[in-house]
Amino acid sequence: MNAIEIKGLCKHFPGKRMTKVDALKGLDLTIEAGEVFGFLGPNGAGKSTTIKLVMGLLRPTSGSASIIGMDASLAESRRHVGYLPENPAFYDYLSAEEYIAFVGSQFKIGAALLAQRSEEVLHRLDLWEARKRPMRGYSKGMVQRVGVAQALVHDPEVYILDEPMSGLDPIGRALVKDIILDLKKRGKCVFFSTHITDDVEKVCDRVGVIVKGSLVALDRVENILRSGVEGYIIHLQLPETESLSFAGIEALRRTDSVSEFYVPCSAFNAFMGEVNRTGTKVVLVETKRRDLEDFFLSLVHTGQES
Amino acid sequence: MTTIIGITLKGIFRDRVFQGIMVTACAFLLIPVIASLSMRQVTELSLTLSLSLISFILLLLAVFLGGTSLWKDIERRYTFSVLGLPISRQSYMIGRFGGVALFVLLAAAVLGAAAFAVVTYSSAIYPPDRPIVWSTMALCILFDALKYILLIAVAFLFSTVSTSFFLPVFGAIATFLVGGVTQQVYEFINSPASKTLSPFVKQIAIGLYYILPNFGAFDLKVNAIYSLPLHLNGLFLTAAYFIAYVGLLLSVAAVIFARREMR
Repeated sequence: MNAIEIKGLCKHFPGKRMTKVDALKGLDLTIEAGEVFGFLGPNGAGKSTTIKLVMGLLRPTSGSASIIGMDASLAESRRHVGYLPENPAFYDYLSAEEYIAFVGSQFKIGAALLAQRSEEVLHRLDLWEARKRPMRGYSKGMVQRVGVAQALVHDPEVYILDEPMSGLDPIGRALVKDIILDLKKRGKCVFFSTHITDDVEKVCDRVGVIVKGSLVALDRVENILRSGVEGYIIHLQLPETESLSFAGIEALRRTDSVSEFYVPCSAFNAFMGEVNRTGTKVVLVETKRRDLEDFFLSLVHTGQES
Repeated sequence: MTTIIGITLKGIFRDRVFQGIMVTACAFLLIPVIASLSMRQVTELSLTLSLSLISFILLLLAVFLGGTSLWKDIERRYTFSVLGLPISRQSYMIGRFGGVALFVLLAAAVLGAAAFAVVTYSSAIYPPDRPIVWSTMALCILFDALKYILLIAVAFLFSTVSTSFFLPVFGAIATFLVGGVTQQVYEFINSPASKTLSPFVKQIAIGLYYILPNFGAFDLKVNAIYSLPLHLNGLFLTAAYFIAYVGLLLSVAAVIFARREMR
């Protein structure tokens, strides 16, 4: 069974002067169990709207969403979900420990197991020392980590995280990435939104790009990276007496006896054929490709122009 | 829902507004001194002042806790995290209401105990002409608490449609002021003295009488102060009215809250 299924989801908000704003335009998306899915998009693209619709916080104008086969508008559909809202806020008069206990009780976890899991997540998110302090005294990063902790405490099958790295320092970001990778190893489904491509490149199986409420790309991260290969930087050991070109390609630079050539994909076979024929020593071959950020930016520009 | 009630109670006890309001209860200490100035009706005045002070404190609690509880959760975005849990919106809202209502009952019990102590002290020094009927006094405090729980339900209904605290807080205050006099207005309209009023004004007044909560029905102060007998039928009717009215308000609030967009 799919972890999350979104069918023809539309959301209109009332705008100024009796107009309507199309926040989401017929989104179709299926997230499989055990998959880490990155939902990329610029600010205002519809990422948080999608997540709020899936979590039942907003009502769709049309279309539907389900979590593990259960209608997302039902409270019961959230029983197997760990949810981190965007810029989370929690009852600030409670301590992190009290809030985690409250969340655990909503998932009907037994007292002993809850105490054990609470200790685990508080240690993991580096909140153990601060666990008894009211959250009103926490920094933004600490509140974000409480948000991650409360999503983890009941060990659900599906995680829906809205900008999980937001407000975190580099250590916190690395920690959350590690947690997502660990969840991936354990076969959990993670659906998270972000506008930071590096996060997606490092942890996701698949990525969806949303621009102006429409899904403009949906593919496996490895496919995107593979399709983005433009050419190769090839380092050859050539005698200093030889000219600065090889197989008809000019060297980019030359350091001592090593010359560096940019070879487009189309010329790669011919270039390597020449290398073999002349018995030239290859020192290094680097792939020259567009990264996910370039891919994302090109999609956003195309989407905004249209 | 019980955990929501528990969280609500915890929040109230840790709230500085609540702590400030409860400081007002220190005024109980002054009641015997002020009452002794009346010379003749010290016990009656102690009773009047105690019951009025309880009423005033409960009013502050009802308006500020009832009017801000749900609104604050939405405004501070607590609802995003809590409604992301497997809790229905109805359970959440009723839980929040239950927590505030339970707290008002607890506050009424604590303040009632203080009032009993004050009246016992006053009556020991200045024995009253009439015996004090403690059960009537207890019922008076209980019905006062019910009145404010009804006001909390009104404030919750306003909170479900409002995006600011103005409507829940000032709407509750306005409802309290109008609802406190509708019974008298209704009686006036049905008396010969109202002949000069136009039928249109009369119809509006009668309409308001039926739509707005009748807080006057919960007022047993005169019975408690002057040891007047209570009519059981009237009490049952008031209790049934309370249950029906609160049930109706919460049902409407639950429907509206369930449809509210959490943007």
